[in-house]
This record gives sequence, structure tokens and C-alpha cells, in this order.
Amino acid sequence: MNSKMLESKENIENIDDDVVLRLDDLSISFGGLKAVDSLTFDIKEKEIFGLIGPNGAGKTTAFNCITQFYKPDRGSVYFRTNKGEVENLVGKKPHEIIKKGLVRTFQNVELIKELTVLQNVLVGSHIEFKASLLSQILRLPKARKEEIRLRKKAEEVLEYMGLHTIKDQLVAGQPYGVLKKIELARTLMCNPRLIILDEPAAGLNDSETFALIRIVRGIRDRYNCSILLVEHDMRFVTDLCDRICAISFGKLIFVGTPQEIQANEQVQVAYLGKGDE
Amino acid sequence: MGIFIQILLNSLEIGGIYALAALGIILIYRTSNTQNYAQGTISMFNAFVATYIFAFLFNKENKFAWVAAILGMASALVVGMLVDRVVISRATKVHPVSKQIITLGLIMIFLGMAPMIFGTDPMPFPKFIYGSHTILGATISYSAILNILIGIVIMVVLFYMLQKSKWGLSVRATASNEVVARMMGIPTPLITMASWAIAAALGTLAAIMLAPATSVNLSMMDGVQVIALMACVLGGFQTFHGPVVAAYIIGFASNLITYYVSSVWSDSILYILILIVILFMPNGLFGKKVVKKV
Amino acid sequence: MDKKKTERMAKPKRKAGNPYINYIVFGLIMLMLPILVEKEVIKYSYLTIVAGILIYSIVSLGLNFLIGYSGLVSLGTAGFMGLGAYLSAYLTINLKLPFEISLIISVAIPMVLGILTGLVSLRIEGYYLAIATLVISEILRKAFGEFTAVTNGFSGKSAGFPKLLNGKVLDRNSTYILIVVVLVIVIMITHNLINSYTGRALSTMRGSEAAAQAMGINIYRYRLLAFAVAVAFAALAGVLYVHFIKFSHPNTWTLLLSLNILAVIIIGGVRSIPGTILGAFIVFGIPDLVLKNLPVIGKIDGIPYIFTGVLIIVVILFYPAGLIHIWFNLKRAIFSLRKKGGNDSE
Repeated sequence: MNSKMLESKENIENIDDDVVLRLDDLSISFGGLKAVDSLTFDIKEKEIFGLIGPNGAGKTTAFNCITQFYKPDRGSVYFRTNKGEVENLVGKKPHEIIKKGLVRTFQNVELIKELTVLQNVLVGSHIEFKASLLSQILRLPKARKEEIRLRKKAEEVLEYMGLHTIKDQLVAGQPYGVLKKIELARTLMCNPRLIILDEPAAGLNDSETFALIRIVRGIRDRYNCSILLVEHDMRFVTDLCDRICAISFGKLIFVGTPQEIQANEQVQVAYLGKGDE
Repeated sequence: MGIFIQILLNSLEIGGIYALAALGIILIYRTSNTQNYAQGTISMFNAFVATYIFAFLFNKENKFAWVAAILGMASALVVGMLVDRVVISRATKVHPVSKQIITLGLIMIFLGMAPMIFGTDPMPFPKFIYGSHTILGATISYSAILNILIGIVIMVVLFYMLQKSKWGLSVRATASNEVVARMMGIPTPLITMASWAIAAALGTLAAIMLAPATSVNLSMMDGVQVIALMACVLGGFQTFHGPVVAAYIIGFASNLITYYVSSVWSDSILYILILIVILFMPNGLFGKKVVKKV
Repeated sequence: MDKKKTERMAKPKRKAGNPYINYIVFGLIMLMLPILVEKEVIKYSYLTIVAGILIYSIVSLGLNFLIGYSGLVSLGTAGFMGLGAYLSAYLTINLKLPFEISLIISVAIPMVLGILTGLVSLRIEGYYLAIATLVISEILRKAFGEFTAVTNGFSGKSAGFPKLLNGKVLDRNSTYILIVVVLVIVIMITHNLINSYTGRALSTMRGSEAAAQAMGINIYRYRLLAFAVAVAFAALAGVLYVHFIKFSHPNTWTLLLSLNILAVIIIGGVRSIPGTILGAFIVFGIPDLVLKNLPVIGKIDGIPYIFTGVLIIVVILFYPAGLIHIWFNLKRAIFSLRKKGGNDSE
């Protein structure tokens, strides 16, 4: 136990200052099937990092391990928190992760239909709310001021995302592309250091996908954060990402720039199924 | 020694009653994806039907008790089918919580109908067989032995059918994934209806076994219903055998507590004990941990 | 046309200047009742029925908060309400405590018990709460019958109208006024809670546990909070009940009462404050005020149960938003008709 702690401390000290997230030997298996197998890579500050791989390669599972929705069997997730310190996220509760500065979206848009667009975005700043239960019940000035302040922030985020005209509409019935944008807006409310996007372009048409590239880049520059994303659309990933990591059957194949990825033969074989048979 | 045999026999008898009720609940849970809170009330209703048949068709002649019981179970089959046809089958798209609440609404309907049809007075129902035998100081009534055997035989047959018959395969397929089962050509609405019918019949049998001791009355199944639900929690909602085993364990524990601790508070102590066990074993004694997909 | 329709539906209800005004107006209307009784416009006994409805509205608001905003079901409502009632009867009659102090203790103790129940059952899947509360309620009912020193067993426990700290004793009318005031306060508290970040967190949790966790919402804690609120309102209503009816019997606090309160919410409208009040009037008012006065049917036992049970199922299957929305829909229909007429004339 002690040696393990020492080891982990040493690992933390080895992490360069510009690294936001380091996966170290991350592994999880379901019923003997290794969904993520010894996955190791770094994501740097202000980097847009893509995770690609064929269906069932374990991309979303890796996300769930990072955000602690699944408990990895082995390995570590080192994360540089908002305070600048590096922490291992493994063993934390899923709801504790966002406080460290890591926030995510979901493959099947997880928004609340009965709430308005603005209210949904406000949920993103849940951890910023500090008013006690009593001051909420009595609507004391403290609770009211806090609500007004964060509502303003949410309105700014919506304005930036071009959603301010629909802010008071319910989420139910909005087109899919808008839902994706709302979910993205929600992640911006907590001053994130790293945003994880699970298939942000899935279900979007060409022009929406094109617009999304500009939006994601803009977010990176405006909010000074890194972005990790999973996506099937190869063109979207190569256009957007600074670096890409290709995995197959839970194992890392190659990490590199989009050009390097495109040129790499192993990636071609795994991803496009070329020359195997 | 005599005491222990006595407790063991009592436990097997009451455990069998709990197990039959629990099996009904689990059967419905697996095919309709809802806890059926009305199981006990529907059973009570059909126990009244059996009692009425016994009193007015057979002039309270004890030798016909078993015919009345079978007719009561037959009426339970019909009631179960009706409940599924009229209500549950229309609620496939309803939120799981609302579905639970529908079964709570069913409690009110049956609890309102019972006194309208049968009156509010408790009615007696005889044992199937009278007489007893004394071994090692323990009084063993033939009725208890018969009930134990009936319970075991029915459960063995049911488990055999669940595992080996086409019906059982369909139930298990519907339980594991209703949509896929339907796509594979399994008539899931029929399977669900059959489950409601069988569950009602199992519960009614449990009620009729209990009746000689409690008489047939509006609240006769309240305790059994609570314990059957707890057996499902304790045994885990994921398996068919878990709740049955848990029901027997609860039956045994209940008799031990009644004899050694307190007869007035035995149920309350039992409930609290089970809650504590569940706290430490949240998936039940036999349950598997379910990984949620995000 | 269709698109237009969805757009209009997507628009949330416009917030009226001050939402409290509606609640206060409702309270004032309810306060007219004792005057009408004195003027002999309505029967003396109706005041008791309406007071009962208002008391059950308080419990139902708590349960609606639990079910509507956290998606959890409690079947122990009657048990916790009864506990509040018995405690307050014991504290005021046997220990001679003033009403205010008795009220605080009689709400606090059930809350502690509720939180303990929640601590045990909420760690597990949501539906365990229903079973755990059903069990606790059964244990409580047993205790109401057996702890004769406190509860007077099956003879029932008597209590008096509230005796305040300053020694003043309320009468029937002023106790009724107290109930109305407490209900209006409870409505406001519920309104504020729903519209606070706590309310949003609960809605999120109910809509998507994954999203809630990712946004930093501690599901366990918020479930516990919602349940504690439901228990507190139930105990509060129990206290008011025992000091207005002046009697508590173990057979009052059965599963059937819990089911009736559940019915209030489902029939009136989940997640709706006016819906809850409407539901209470339907479930606890119609059987006493209407059904009992009908020829033939009124004489049959069990009719109210069947009425409520059928209504629960019909509403869930065909009108899941609750009957309060009939009113909203009517208003919308009239509005759109008028608009259409206007367009035609142009």
C-alpha cells in the first residue's frame, strides 16, 4: 500500500507542467472482455485531442473510466485540477469530478426535457451555487443574488453559442443539432480545464459539423481549456484536432498529429480494415 | 428437539406461502418490469371467490374445499388476464414509476370491490385435511405437511417449466430483453398476460393456504405482501430462485423470532433485520451487480 | 401548422409579476369559509371536510415534491403523518407542552426517522424506498396500536385545539385559520424550493442520473433531501390533523391513506402546486361532498376507493400530466380559437 502511494506520488511528480490529463495503464474489462487495455496517453494544455477507433473499440468506455462512471480495474487517471495540482481521479465519485475542472457531454444527449434551455445550462454551474437550503427556501438576498449572477453568466454563454433567442423555450422539441449545442453550452458554466465530448458531431449535417469545428476551436481559445473528443467522422477529427489517438479493442495503436495518423499503416488496417484478410 | 422440529415445519409451511407470493411478484417484475403491489390484494379477492364457492356451491362441506380452491385459482387466472388486458398492456410506454403507481391503484379498486361483493365480515375456510401426528414431542398436522408439499411441488414444476419448456424460454427471453424477444417472434403480450394470470393464481393459492389460520378477510394478505416484496429485495430481483430461497429464510427467521424473542413484535423485528441485511448487501443475497450504460 | 403548435407548446408559462399573489388570494378565499358557515350559507360539517382537504394538501405537496422532482415513491406517508399526530397529542396532553414547541418536536422526530430510513434505502436503487417506507409504515402502525402509554392503543388518542405559548387556546375557527396560513406558507416554501438550484438539481437527477452526476450533483444527498422534505410536510400535517380533529386512531394511518395521498398527486398533476390542491379536493372532497349524497351509490361501501383507484389508472394512461392541465388546455384552446377568429376577420 505504502509503496504504491509512493509510486503514485513519483508518477505525479514526473508529469510535465503542460500536461492536463495523463492516462497511465488504464484498464477495465467486462466479463473477461478487455474493453480498455493498458491505455496510456497525455493531453496537453489548450490541446484539442481526438480519440478514434472502430465501433466497440472502447472509446466511450475510456471516457467513462476517466470520469469515474466506471471504476477502472487498473491504472491511473492523473488530472491537473483547477488549482494547478495533479490528482489521481481513480476512486473519486462521479459527482466529484466536475469540481476538479473536468466536465463531459454524452453520446445520447442527456438534457432535461421539462426544463428550459437556460435552466439546463444553469445546471452546469450547480457546483458554483453556495446558498444554504434555508436561504433558498426563504429566498434570502444571498440566494437571489447568486441566482442572478449565474443566470447572467448562463445568458452570456448562450449568447456566445448563438442560443440566446431560444433561452426560455423548453428543451423538449428542439432539433438535434440545437440539443448538442445546449449540452456543449452546459459544460462551459463550470470554468472547465478539460472538456470531454462524446461524439459531438454525431447526427449533425455537413454545415452543422463545419460550424461545430469553429465553435470548439473558439471555446478552446475563449475558455483556455483542453478538449478531448471521440468522433467517428474522420474528416471532422482530422480538421479539428491537434493530436489524435487511435485505439482498437481497447489497446492504443498510435498517437500523433492528423497527418501522422493518416499516414500510419497500423491505423489504416485497424480503422479502415484494409489489407487484413 | 421437538421444539426445533416444530419451528422447522412451521417455517417450511409459512415460507412456502411467502415463496408462492414472492414468485408471483418476481414473475410480473421480469415480464412487465414493475413491482406489483396489488399481488396481495388480488389474491385476497380471489380467496374470497373460493370461499364463496365453498360456502354457497358446496354447502361448506370440507371434502370439497380443494375443488373450491382450484376454482378460486381459476378465477384468479381470469382476473390476472383481465388486469393485464384492460390495464397493464396499455401501459407499456408508461414511466416505470407510473407503472408501479398503477398497481397501487389496482389495490384501491380490488379493496373497494371486495366489500361490495363479499361484505366486510371475515369468512372461514377449512383446511384441506384434518388430523395430526406426534413425533419427538412435535405436533405435525397433516395439513401443514400437505401445504409444504403443495408449495414445493408447484415450485419445482414452475422452475422446471421456466428452464425447460418453450413457455419458460419465452418468459426468460421477455425478461432479459422485451424488444429483442418480440423481434425474435416471441408473442410477448401473451407471455406477459400469462405471467399476470399465473402470478394471481400463485398468490391466491398462498392466500387459501393461509386462510384456515387467519380466516378470509380484507387485510389477510397485507403482511404476506410486505414480506413477499422484502423476499424479492433480499433475494434480488434479477433471479427467479433468489426470492424463493429468501422467502423460506424469512419464514424460518420469523418463526425463530416469534418463539425466542417476541410474538407481538416479531414482524417489526424481522423487517428491521432485513433492512439491515439489505444495507450491507444492496444487490440481495443472489443478485448480480448491474452496470449502467451511459 | 404543426411546427407552430410545437413552438407554442415549447414556450413556458409566463411568470406573473409575483407568483405569491395567487397563493395568497387562494388563502384568502379559503379564509371566507368560517364566515359562510356562520352565515349558514354552507353546512357546519363542510368546514371539517375542507380543513381535512387542506391538511391533506400539505402532505401531498411534500409527496409531490418527492415524486415529481426526484422520481422516488414513498408508501410511508400515512405512517409519518400518524407519528406526527401521536407525538403532538402526547406532548400537549400528557406533557402539557405548548403547541409551538410540540409542533417543532413532532416534526423533528419523524424527520430523523425518515432520514434514517432514507440513509438505508436510498443507497440502493430508487424503488427500494417504496418498499422500505411501506415496511416502516407497517412497523409504525404496529407501534400506534401497542405503545399504549403514548398512543392509548386501539381506544384512540384524544387531543385538544392548539394551546399557544402565551396560554391562549384556539377555537375551531381559529384553528382552521391556522391550517390555511400554514398551507399557504408550505405552498410558498415548495414554490421557492422548486425554483431554486436545489429544484433544478432534483429535476436533473430525475431526468438523467448520468447528467446529474457529471454536473456535480450528489444523487444520494439530493434524494435524501427530497425525502426529508416529504416526511417533514407529512408530520406537520399530522400535527395539524390531531389538533383539529382532536383524535387519532391507529386505523387512520393505513396504507390506504398513503395511497389516497399518492392519488392526489397523480390525479391533480405531478410537479404542479395548483394540481396538488385540485387533486386533494378531488380525492378527499368528492367522496364526502358528492358521492355520499348520491342516491343508491352513496350507500355502497368501497365506492370512494374504486373511484380513486380507477381515476389513478385512467389519468396515468390517458392524461399523464394530471387533471390540472385540462384547465390549461382549455384556456389555450379558447385563446387559439379567439386568435383564429381574429385572423379570419382580417
